[in-house]
Order: sequence, then structure tokens, then C-alpha cells
Amino acid sequence: MADKRLTNSFKSYVGLDDDYLNTSNEDSFSDQLTVRLLPGESLVSEAQNVLMFAQVRERKQGKSGLLCVTNFKLSFITADEKSKEEVAFQDVLQLGENDVCLSNIDALYLFGDKKRKLVPDSRNITEKVKGLHIICKNMRMLSFSFKFSPVGHGKTLTNALLHHAFPKRHQLLFGYDYSEPQYPCSSETVMFRDAGDWGKELARTQAQGWRLSAANHDFQMFSSLPRWLVVPSRVLDWQLGEAGRHFNSGRPPLWSWSSPYGAALVRMADIVPTITDRVQENIMLECVRKTHPRLAPPIVLDLTKDLPSCRELQNSYLKLRELCTPEDIKQFWVQDQHFLSSLESSKWLQYVSACLAKSVQAANILMRDTTVVLQESDGRDTCCIVTCLTQLLLDPYFRTIHGFQSLVQREWVIMGHPFCTRLAHVYQQDVSNQSPMFLLFLDSCWQLLQQFPTHFQFTETYLTVLWESALLSIFDTFLFDCERDRMAASAEPNDPLILRSVWDELVNSRDAALFVNPLYFPSDEKIDPLSFKPSLPNIQLWLQAYCRYIPILEISGGGPPQIDLTARMLTGQVEGGFEGPPPKVGSFFPFSPPHASAPPPALLLSSLSLNTSFHSSEMMLDSQSILNAPD
Amino acid sequence: MDLNKDLILEHQPSDSKSSSLNSKIGLESVSTLSKSYTSSSSGTSTNAVSTLENKVKLKGAVGGFDPSSPPRPEDPPLLPGEHLQGGARDVTYLCPYSGPTRGFLSVTNYKLHFRSVDRDPPYILEVPLGVVSRVEKVGGQSSRGENSYGIEIFCKDMRNLRFGHKQENHSRRNVFEKLQQYAFPLSHKLPLFAFEYSETFPENGWTVYEVIAEFKRMGVPNDMWRLTKINDTYEICDSYPAIWAIPVTATEEDLRAVAAFRSRGRLPILSWIHPESQATLTRSSQPLVGVSGKRSRDDEKYIQLIMDANAQSHKMFICDARPSTNAIANKAKGGGYEAEEAYPNAEITFLDIHNIHVMRESLRKLKELCFPNIDEAKWLSGLESTYWLKHIKCILAAACRIVDKIEIHKTSVLVHCSDGWDRTAQLTSIAMLLLDPYYRTIKGFEVLIEKEWISFGHKFQLRVGHGDDNHSDADRSPVFLQFIDCVWQVMQQFPNAFEFNDYFLLTILDHLYSCRFGTFLFNCEKDRLAEQVKMKTVSLWSYTNCQLDLYKNPLYYSHQPQVLLPVASIRHIKLWRGLYSRWNPAMRPQEPVYQRTRELLALKEQLEKLAEDSRKELKSRMARSMNSPTRLSSPIHS
Repeated sequence: MADKRLTNSFKSYVGLDDDYLNTSNEDSFSDQLTVRLLPGESLVSEAQNVLMFAQVRERKQGKSGLLCVTNFKLSFITADEKSKEEVAFQDVLQLGENDVCLSNIDALYLFGDKKRKLVPDSRNITEKVKGLHIICKNMRMLSFSFKFSPVGHGKTLTNALLHHAFPKRHQLLFGYDYSEPQYPCSSETVMFRDAGDWGKELARTQAQGWRLSAANHDFQMFSSLPRWLVVPSRVLDWQLGEAGRHFNSGRPPLWSWSSPYGAALVRMADIVPTITDRVQENIMLECVRKTHPRLAPPIVLDLTKDLPSCRELQNSYLKLRELCTPEDIKQFWVQDQHFLSSLESSKWLQYVSACLAKSVQAANILMRDTTVVLQESDGRDTCCIVTCLTQLLLDPYFRTIHGFQSLVQREWVIMGHPFCTRLAHVYQQDVSNQSPMFLLFLDSCWQLLQQFPTHFQFTETYLTVLWESALLSIFDTFLFDCERDRMAASAEPNDPLILRSVWDELVNSRDAALFVNPLYFPSDEKIDPLSFKPSLPNIQLWLQAYCRYIPILEISGGGPPQIDLTARMLTGQVEGGFEGPPPKVGSFFPFSPPHASAPPPALLLSSLSLNTSFHSSEMMLDSQSILNAPD
Repeated sequence: MDLNKDLILEHQPSDSKSSSLNSKIGLESVSTLSKSYTSSSSGTSTNAVSTLENKVKLKGAVGGFDPSSPPRPEDPPLLPGEHLQGGARDVTYLCPYSGPTRGFLSVTNYKLHFRSVDRDPPYILEVPLGVVSRVEKVGGQSSRGENSYGIEIFCKDMRNLRFGHKQENHSRRNVFEKLQQYAFPLSHKLPLFAFEYSETFPENGWTVYEVIAEFKRMGVPNDMWRLTKINDTYEICDSYPAIWAIPVTATEEDLRAVAAFRSRGRLPILSWIHPESQATLTRSSQPLVGVSGKRSRDDEKYIQLIMDANAQSHKMFICDARPSTNAIANKAKGGGYEAEEAYPNAEITFLDIHNIHVMRESLRKLKELCFPNIDEAKWLSGLESTYWLKHIKCILAAACRIVDKIEIHKTSVLVHCSDGWDRTAQLTSIAMLLLDPYYRTIKGFEVLIEKEWISFGHKFQLRVGHGDDNHSDADRSPVFLQFIDCVWQVMQQFPNAFEFNDYFLLTILDHLYSCRFGTFLFNCEKDRLAEQVKMKTVSLWSYTNCQLDLYKNPLYYSHQPQVLLPVASIRHIKLWRGLYSRWNPAMRPQEPVYQRTRELLALKEQLEKLAEDSRKELKSRMARSMNSPTRLSSPIHS
């Protein structure tokens, strides 16, 4: 039955240990293949006549081509490779069908006489490299055989990969070399780099009792926090500095959001463990209390206790990834036997459920008009998750694409979630700080979309691409641990980094139509609480994000894309635009391999125009009201 | 009359989202309820009350009703033919989700009805007695704790109900007796409610499935297949339908001889034929091979005839639904499977689906896991340990293999298990659903159930145990429920391939147990004919087909790919929360996109109508401006 689903692009049928090679394929071993390079990208190493194995299929298959390492990506090129235009997300991610960004690579395994994990250290490997198995942070796996490559190619390429995929310094990331000109364009996504952005957000939420402070303008007071801070009006700047020293990472209570009734959502770190008295904490909480119109005392939610630590989450992620990266079809079906209990022991869904439950709790407290203070050891990880989810549960503005981007920009990027450390953009011997907190957040958002499919302007594809873009060394958005580092890098006199925000790229990309939910129905309310059910049985595994590289899991002509495309077709018909049958695409569309049948561009484009015409007025209004709001 | 009034729901009117049903239909539960009560009780209450008055007078029960009063709000709405049999006041319903609530409990010959007096709006519980599998008294004279004295009801639809009675009211005995009588009428020499139910509908559901018409739709009779009425009197096979489709070349003698070699005379006959390749799907029971390895030349020849009827392939697949060990074990009981040496062109495959007892146990565990509350800490591993989803996966995988053989290899497939009425029915019906888009329409799905399940003798009476108090009967098993679950799984994977939605499936399952309609009563066509089911009862399809809008999937797109191939991996197979944890308000219904899609559809229709109107307007204007009316006599409509 699988025969029909197998694709024909894989020409040779050679296993790693097969001695047989179909000589007719010799022609495809062409040395005229070349790698396409971006401005500033340079070739580091290449290996010819490499076999790439298809992932988890009914039959073991491979195709031959040229494998290259550049300062940006690992690229596999075959004679029949699709042109750039045919590959979805080429536009945003700058990658071809068989490319992965070096920042995405998490682990290398050597296939020799036995499998061995490679650790990047200063020594080069000297043994013969028969094959290479690569596990990516986005749960993709790649297998190559150098069996037919000229002597030494495998080893040279592997050493180059070990060296470049695990850079020792931040300045070695491709973002610093990328020389494509960057043109600033105006965007509705709010960057929160200047006081005006904060002022508008305070006005939009009608926040009372809070003020904008420039105390950290030169990043001297709190190195991981932005230039502008929103603090209780009663707190003077010197008090802030005094109190801040008592909190981990120098994070006193800072404003996230205000409900129209006066309660606020606040985030802060724990008191520094060496400090025994909680006087400064109490002083600050008292100031928070006084921001409330009724002076109601805030409720502090301890996130450290109920949500995973970085290490716990990383362990969970590794177990989940193991489940999503079976080595072959046999392992796939073995996993299937105990999939649910394995999934349970990964604890991933439990963590998703816990984050959402906490956020529902916070939202409920806010709806009772009581201020919520989220407290976490450093205030830079689960705080980001819970504050965002809480705002998504309450404020419909954040459910629009620009609203969501502004939210992530504010609560994650500007407020200093340590992306560089957590995503391991730079090699760190101590792996205990690597942790996919941002993925946990995106997964939680996906759960919101599942229970409220008409309340969000963005799609699951948007979330998946956002995760991909976090593993890409082009955009500055997810490359740094904090705003201070970012500003320092962009101001570096010798080799300044050109700042490229992911947000504009996402919204303006050729694929942006796929990010817009055709079922979205905007809300006019200032506050529109979602009664989300966070209990574990209501939480599902996000197949598009985790399993799209397992081709046999793709439902031909089925899955969520059918709902999306049918809705686009309907809206297209309502608008009098697109007519015709919904295209037959697979359940991992648009991430299906490019040879899978694609929908007519007209359908996607028509729905894009439809959606903009449908909602642009709303969005215009939103942005207008923000602009006109009193500061 | 409101059509939804008898939907078995645990209404919690304060939160319309708690009932998956209400959000599906898009109605406010409160308004639905109040409407139905006024309309139906006004029609039938006189009769009901007089019945009740007699009872109350006879018993003189302390906790009973006051006989002198006119129809009261606590009286349940009644269906035509439904009568109040008894009741009690001051009963406490111990809701596992919203806590105890006090009110009136009534029992009719169709349902149990509870209406609270201490909540506003009142808490309403309506349960058809057909879903009851067991009624037990809880607590005795010495019971002290609050609500420790009462009745517990175990249901077939994934819930149990607890009622607390006050000892001093002496109301329990009457309620208990009435429940026993009307939940298990067959054990008390009473008729099933379907035979008393007298509602009429504009459409007659008994005409949905016409065997000749259905074969004609498939192009049978044709060169290779013909119809025969040899089983007209159910003489050759008493559990088969009267009309069969068989290879043209098979003679009456052949059929009799083959029937003799197949368990219970269930010889291979046609279920479905591929419109292009002519590859067929046939079904039967196991051959009577026995320990000695008996052979039947007639059976072998007959299988060859089925193979020959398909010119595209010189092979035939025999799919034995059982695990091979079970198939081998059956030899000891005189059964077995086709030896490859006896059927040289046939390839036999075992599809590893377990028997009815394994499935019953699996569902029992699932109910334990899902009701009343879910232990989140062990949710996924607990789910795995029930094996329920694994069984579903196995059935789907098996159906996919059959589809693969027929569609891609153009090879005919014969499916059987032991008797050919449980697993075989599951496999042929799911395979047909995947192969033929007709069965994914509402009407087509009704035909599929009528044909593959009802007419082919799935033993509904035995498997469900309608009106029978023997709750531990080993013949009971959720075979049909599994089939519906599989259909739901396919719907999840292909959200626009079905004309109907999951509410349609829920409705079918509700009435699988309810005994309000005759559709799922008795074990075979022969029995149904003898009991005059079509004359004396109403078909479920009469009820469903006059409110089709409720069951339509707004995402349905009829020009779907002909053949569906779901992915039978546990990564895709989900627990149908809307069914198995249906009563738990903490669970969220799974398909809230329907509402929005429906709105879009309505908008589209509106616009289309507008466009059509203006087209007509334009044409009539043109017509008026022309002088020769004769040229316009051709109809405008397309």
C-alpha cells in the first residue's frame, strides 16, 4: 500500500552495507553540481558522490549527490534538485529542500564499524568516515554515506562540519557574514526599543499606576533587561536599583499587561538565594499593590515549583525527539507499540499542560480583577511562557499576527530570554543550559489554536516556521541572550552585525498566505477570555512540528491542511475569487517534500487577498487607535 | 415537536459548552430544553398522569407524587407511546462533576428522567433505559452516611449513575422495580419500547436500503455476477440476507455444497465490486477444515469462480481477520482456515484482530480510565494499557491492507473470521468506506450499516443485550462501537471526505442502545421478518433523515479522491473524547471549526442565491424585451 506513496525521486536503492551499486546511476554522480551561496556565504568543504538516505520509509532508499558545508549551511545537491521557487519557505528560511542551517544541527553520529557520537573538541577525527548521521534541533534527521566518495572526502567534510556547526564564539555565526543589504521597512510589529512603543502599549491597555523608567538606559543597572522598564509609579529609579540587586538576574517586578479593570500582570525573579530577608521583595510587592485602583494585594504565582526547569525540559525534549526520529521503519513500528507510554515518560505533554494550566490560573485571577505576579528563579524562562500565554488567553489583540509578534518581541526578545544559550547557537561544553523553552511556548500556543481554531489570525504553519527561524543564524531576533548583547554586536566597530528582524521577513515573505488562518474571526472586545481546558487529555502531540520528517506519517489527501484549504476555498468562493476543487495535498503540507502535489498558487493568493481585505480594516483600526492613544 | 428533546444528555444548562452535543448543534441547551418540555408534555401528559395516579393510589407511597394535582413541571416530556411508570421525589442525583442535587426521579417505559429542584436552572438528566446494563441497590437499613442509601445504575454508554434515596421515604423499592422492568423488558416478559413507540416521520427509513437497488448501483448483475434468491426462506443460511450476489457460473448445487463447508452456512458472497477493475470484496465464515484438514472441492472451485470473475488478476487474497494462533486453535472446534495447497492461487493473510472477549475487556478498562474522572498522572500509559487504540489501529491497518489489494493490486479479496459476523463486518464495511465515496454520504453510510451489519447478521441482540438483564453475558461485545470509532478515526484523518459529522455517529451509537427504533434489534434478517420489525417499529433513519442539517459536515467536499488510505499509526489514532469522556465537562469537544465553516457556507449560499436571483432577473428582463416568446420556451434552470 505504501507503493503509491513512495516517490520516484530517490533513484538508487542502496543500503549502507550493500555492496551492490546500480552502475546506471553513475551518471548522476556528476561533479558539475555546485552549491548556491547567499551573499557573504562561502564554501568550506565538499564531498562528492555522497549518498543521502531517505528518512523512515517502507524501503531503504538513497540518492547520490554533492554534500557541502558552508559557513551557513549543510547542503546536499543532486542533479534533480528543485529550483528555489518550488520549495516552500525558501523565501523566509533561505534553505533548499536538502539543506539545514548549521545552527540547527544538534548532534553528529559517525557510522563506522559501530555508531559513535562525535563531540566537537579541538582534535580532528582521524578515522575513516563511512557514514554520518545528523540529528537536528527541529527533529530532522539526515543520514549520509561516503561509501562511493573519493578517499578522504568523508573525513574532511565531517571535520569541517564539527568545526563550523558548533562555533566557539558568537561572532562566528553566519549572521555576521551575511551581506545581503537590509532595507528598513515600516511594520506593524512593535519592537519595544524606544519609549514610544512602551507608551503606546501602556495606553492601549489603559494601564494605571505604572510608569516608564529610563533607569536602565545604558544597560548598566540590569544587564539582561531592556533600556526601558515599566515599573510601579511609586518606585523611584534609585529604589529600583536598590531593590533590583536583591533579585536574581537583577529582575524586580516589571509590568507585562493591564486589564481594562485595573489588575496587572507582572513578572519578577526570585530573591537572590544568599539574601535571607525578603524586605526588598515585600517593598516592591507593596508598590505593586498600590498600582491597583482598589489597592487589592497581588497574588504571587510561583512558577519554579510547578513548571519544568531548563534541565528537566531539555531531558524531556531529548526523549520526545528520540520518539520523533526513528532510525528506520522497523524502529518506527517498534516505537508505535509503546508510543503513548513513551510519550508520557518524556513528560513533554505534561509540561505543555502545566504551562497552560498556570496561565489559565493567572488569567482567571486577572479576570477577578486581582493583580498577578509571576515569579521564577531568574524570571527569564517560564515567566516568558506564562506571561505570553496569559495575555493570549485574555487579549484578542495578541491573537493577530502583528499582535503576536509584538508580544513575543516584548516578552521574550526584549525582556531577555537567553535565546543564544537555550538554543545553543554557540557551542557550550556544559549542556545544562540548553533548553527549548521557546518551543514549549510555541507548542502551548498550538494547543490554544487547537481548542480555538477561529480565534487566532495565525496558523500552525506560522508557528512551525517561527520555530525554524529560531534555529537560523540569519535573523538577530533569536540569536542573543539579551538586548544589551544585541546592541553591542550591532555597534561593533570592526564587524558590526546588521540587524535583521524575523518579523518583517515572516509577514512579507512569499509564503505569508499560509500563515493567515482562513477561519479567523476577529474579536471587537478589549478583553475576550478563552475558556481553555488545559488538562492533559485535552493536550495533543503537535504532529506538524515534530513528525513532518517522517514521510510515512503523512496522510495523503488528508489532515489539517484539508480544513485550511477547504476554508480558503470557501472564503475564496464567498469573495468570488477562487473556484475549483480543493487541491489534494498531504497532511504535512506545506512541509511535504516538494515533489508532492502542490495546490494552485491562485488558491493561496486568493485567500491572501481575501484575508487582507477581510481584516485589514480591523488591523488598520487597531494600529490607528494605538497611534492616536494618549501617551 | 422539538426533535432534540430525547437526546440523552446530562444537561448542565449553566454551561452550554459542557455538552458536546449542544455546541455541535449550536443551540442553547436551556432554550432547547424548555421548548421541548412545554410542547411534548402538553400532548401526552394526561395519559401518563392517569397511569401514574393508579400506581400511586395502589402503593400509597409516602415519597410518591400527589395524585390530585394536574401535570406538573417535574413530569418528564414523553414520546408518543411512552408512559410514566413510576417515580419518586426527594431523590438525590450524585453527579460526579457538579456534586449532589435533589429533585424528582421518574421512570417511563423508555427512559429515566431526573429534574432537580435545588438549582436554577434545574439540572436535567435523561437516560433511555436501553443503555442500562445493570441496576443495583446501594446501602441497606444500617446505612448511615449521607446518600449512602440508594441505587446505582451501570450504563453501556461509558457512565454510571448514582441516586441517593431517603430511607424514611420508602421510595427506593418502587423505583428499583420499575427500572428493572423497563430497562430489561425482555427479562420481564414486556415488549421492547420500539414496539410501543408510535411517532411518525415524513420519511420512511425502512426504504433507505433496497438490496436490488444497491447492487444495481454497483453494476450488479453483470457479465460475471448475478443475483440469486436461493436463500429466500433463509433455508441455506439463516443468518444471511435473502438475496445474494454470486458468480454467474455458480449453480444452486454449488452454493449448497459450499454452504455445507462453511461455518453456519455462511458461504462467500459479494459485498462490493470495484467499478473499473471488477476486483471484488467478498465475505464468509471460516471453512470447516477441522483437525483432520478436510477439503471441499466445491469450496475450492467456488473460490476459483470468484477469482475468475476478476479478469485483472490471477490471484486472490483471503484475509483471515483473526490472529493466526486463533485460526489454528479453531481447527480443534471443526473450523480453521484455507490451506494454501487446497487453494493454490489464493494467498492467505492473518490480520491479527482479537475476539469479542478481548474487545469487551478492553472497553471495560477504558471506561474505568475515563469515568468518572481521569487520573492525569497516568493518562497516556493508562490509555495504552487498555489496548483500545491498539485494537482500533489493528482494524484500520487490516482494512488498509484490503483496500491496497483491491485498489492498487486489482485483486479480489475474501474476508472472514470465525463466523463472519463480527470482525468480518468491521473489515468489509471499513474497506468499503475507504474504497467507495458513496458510503461517505449520509444515505450511503446508512446503506452500509443496513447492508454489511444488519442484513449480514451481525448479532446486535446478543452483542448489545437489548432489554436483557444478563449483564455478564459473554456474548456482549462492543464490536459495532469499534466500527464507529474506526469511522471516526478516518474522519479525523480526512476531515472533508465525509458528508456527515461526528454527531451523526454519536446519534447512531445512542440509538444502538436506546431501543427506541427497530433498526438495531434482533440478530438477523430472518428474525426481523418474523417479528415484523419493519411494520411494528420505526427506523432510526426515519428520525435522522428528517433533520439532516444536524448531521452535515460543512467541510464536506464531494469530489474527494475516490480512495482513502488512512495512516494506521498510533501517532495518528486519537481517543474519541466526545464519546468516551463525553459526560465530563472538563473535556473539550474536538471540532469547534464546524460552526465557523457553517457560517461561511451559509454566507456562500446567500451570495449564490443573490447571484442566481440577479441572473434570473436579467434573463426575464431580456425575455420581456424580446418579441418572440416561442424561442424562450426552453427552461432556464440548469
